[in-house]
Amino acid sequence: MFHLAWFLSWQVQSWNGMWSGEGGTEWNHPELYVDMTRSLERAGFDYVMFEDGAFVPDSYGGNHDWWLARARSVPKQDPWQLLPVLAQHTERLGLVGTMSTSFYPPFMAARTAATVDHLSHGRAGVNLVTSHNTRTAQNFGHDDIFEHDLRYDMADEWIDLVKQLWGSWDADALVQDRERNVYVDGSRVRPVDFQGKWHRSRGPLNTLAPPQGSPVVCQAGGSGPGRALAARHCDTLLAQVESVEAMKEYRADVRARMVEAGRDPDSCKVLFIVSPVLGETQADAEAKNERVLAGFKADISVNLANMSYASGVDFAQYDLDAPFPDLSGTNATRSSMVMMSVNAQGMTLRQAAESNVRRSVELVGTPDAVASQMGEIVDEVGGDGFLISGNVNRRYVAEITEGLVPELRKRGLTRDGYTHEQFRDNLLEF
Amino acid sequence: MTTSKFHLGWFLGAGFGVQSWNQPWSGTGAHDWMLPDQYVDLAHSLERACFDFLIMEDSVQVSDTYKGSMEYYLRTASAAPKHDPAVLAAILAHETKHLGIIPTLTTTFYHPYTVARMMTTLDHIAKGRIGWNVVTGSNTRAAQNYGFDMPEHDVRYEMADEFVELAHKLWDTWENDAVLADVENGVYADHEKVHRLDFQGKHYASRGPLNTVPSPQGSPVILQAGGSSAGKAFAARWAEAIISNPHGTSKMRAYRDEVRTLAAEQGRDPDHVKVLYLISPVLGETTAEAKGKLQRRKDAMSKNIDGLLAGRSHLSGIDLSQFDLDAPLPADLVSNGHRSSFEEFKGDGTQTLRERLIDHSAIDTIEFVGTPEDVADQMEGVMQDVGGDGFLIAGAPLNRRYVAEVTDGLVPVLKRRGLTRDRYEHQLFRDNLRAF
Repeated sequence: MFHLAWFLSWQVQSWNGMWSGEGGTEWNHPELYVDMTRSLERAGFDYVMFEDGAFVPDSYGGNHDWWLARARSVPKQDPWQLLPVLAQHTERLGLVGTMSTSFYPPFMAARTAATVDHLSHGRAGVNLVTSHNTRTAQNFGHDDIFEHDLRYDMADEWIDLVKQLWGSWDADALVQDRERNVYVDGSRVRPVDFQGKWHRSRGPLNTLAPPQGSPVVCQAGGSGPGRALAARHCDTLLAQVESVEAMKEYRADVRARMVEAGRDPDSCKVLFIVSPVLGETQADAEAKNERVLAGFKADISVNLANMSYASGVDFAQYDLDAPFPDLSGTNATRSSMVMMSVNAQGMTLRQAAESNVRRSVELVGTPDAVASQMGEIVDEVGGDGFLISGNVNRRYVAEITEGLVPELRKRGLTRDGYTHEQFRDNLLEF
Repeated sequence: MTTSKFHLGWFLGAGFGVQSWNQPWSGTGAHDWMLPDQYVDLAHSLERACFDFLIMEDSVQVSDTYKGSMEYYLRTASAAPKHDPAVLAAILAHETKHLGIIPTLTTTFYHPYTVARMMTTLDHIAKGRIGWNVVTGSNTRAAQNYGFDMPEHDVRYEMADEFVELAHKLWDTWENDAVLADVENGVYADHEKVHRLDFQGKHYASRGPLNTVPSPQGSPVILQAGGSSAGKAFAARWAEAIISNPHGTSKMRAYRDEVRTLAAEQGRDPDHVKVLYLISPVLGETTAEAKGKLQRRKDAMSKNIDGLLAGRSHLSGIDLSQFDLDAPLPADLVSNGHRSSFEEFKGDGTQTLRERLIDHSAIDTIEFVGTPEDVADQMEGVMQDVGGDGFLIAGAPLNRRYVAEVTDGLVPVLKRRGLTRDRYEHQLFRDNLRAF
């Protein structure tokens, strides 16, 4: 069996597409996400993960107009306020929110995640990002972001401190001894007195130990330092790679790093990002995929803006018909840039922008066909599952949860119920 | 173009039963059809799309009409098992704010007092959004479950007429200002404003008064489906919305004209009788995709003669397995079940039973197929042509993908064109139904 999760942001999901519904005015209210997470739970997903970013992009064309006009990456709301609502409407689904290790004080992060872990009876997770965008840094009062590898060094210390804070109360600190009139035993709660290179905190945390002890830690790290951080701290890892071979390599590398760090490699589940394109017939699905690809060609600004977003480099400045520019030396999401540059080799910028530059393994077909393909991939890679990242509208969610998942279940590939109450226990079950 | 707005309703043709269990996009339907979740999601989506109402069909027997056996119906989960929609109505009423909620209750099998009280209770829970789909029952086995033989078709309508009259009289046994809730003087209700009824009819009797307070709407919105002359007469007297399936625009127009004329003859405002046509739009991302889907569905249906015969047998109460598939049905064959739809199905004797089964959709009035834009064009055209009040979506089997295609694909286009409402004007279901 393998695991399933869904990856999205709390942003405008879809507002002028064919199946958008009232997405333009509905995205910032809970209903769509409540419907979605209930469907994911019915389908036995392990978790939903909300990416986040705290800036208005202006990296393409030198201003924010394109982003605002398209509702791309802005507006975007803080997922940590949505998660408690979703916790109330679900029972077993893991709920993961993103926190920036560069800009969230560790104490605040530890407390927020612990609170959601209590509200959800042990289903909270934290997705670590180091933040790659200058505008984010400026919104938090810095001149610029920290250098890429330095950010990961800081993140390492950050999560170490956060975990210490979660551990500052013993699981049995709550005694509720009515006879002696003692609620919490003070000897089981202690300061952390953390003095790091970048972070300091006295502690202890001012709430009970989270039900899971430590909420699930998640990360998307493709670069060396990213993988190293994941190997030390993460329970689940998401990766966007574009071939089964690359999946194998990635997973094997992370597992080797975990062993080096003294961890059981089965204690971190590596999920690969996919966007299945489903249809009632193979031909319908292939035609739909062709329309998506034709869309990139018809409007190259989408990919130019995506590339600008990931790199911080304004792709509007380059000659479209000159060779793809050299991006070495940028301080952005490093693995994404490598993928782009490799895929764009030998192309002009226009040719690159007309193609799908951020590829994952292609899953196009009927639910039956795609389910088989997913089973074969996991067999080949060795584990652990997939993270669905697609256009969030109710029709697409239904295609996954009511179409694809029943086919996966029929083959015994994914769970048909939850064994455990807590998120980590379900994640580590297989 | 100046088309006025039209209404949308959703017809849950499988009632509170198995919606979809072994089809593409069925999800967990085989196991959880009896839980409220799918219907709650449906109701929320319909409300987002500003539908007037959701109507839940019902039947109360395990059919054995076809080949004299329950085998086909149980093997395929056709029309059984099925749960009581009035129970689900309470949950849906509580989960929604604007949508009209309409369970089906059979006059032949209930006592009018029971129905009057149940409807008032539900209308309070729904804050004035309950409707009642009045059916007379059509199946012998259903009548036998209640301990009697099925009355003849037209007698059932005569009984229904008296039933609904009595129910309305029970709803009127409390004057609107009977409840004082006067805390200071310790008076809850003014007994002089609550009246005995002492109704003695041909089929029913009831003393009254009702032991509940008047509901927000006073009486539920009455829905009805019936194309027979007895059915049309009943509709003209009582119905506020009619579920209809005349085939093709000229019959649709004729049907509506006739019902409006009959209503006017009863002294009613014809605009207070909304005629809604059953449709099952087939939607796709491209026109070709939608047409392909429809063709696959037709192909599957034409290969499933067994299923078509069993379905028709269920509705008509006649075991159609006894007839030659390659000859027309006997001209004098009359159904004591869904009479007018069986007449329509039988045709004029120029087609064989097999041809009728394949060509003649059980419920749809007209075929709508294409992208959301295409289907919106088609709906707009039909409304202009027929001058009708709106449509009832009956797409079966029900699954979440199809619901999304309608509520998040088709309806946004209709709204943008100003063809359907983009907000609810009123609190009460009846007021929304009469808003245009």
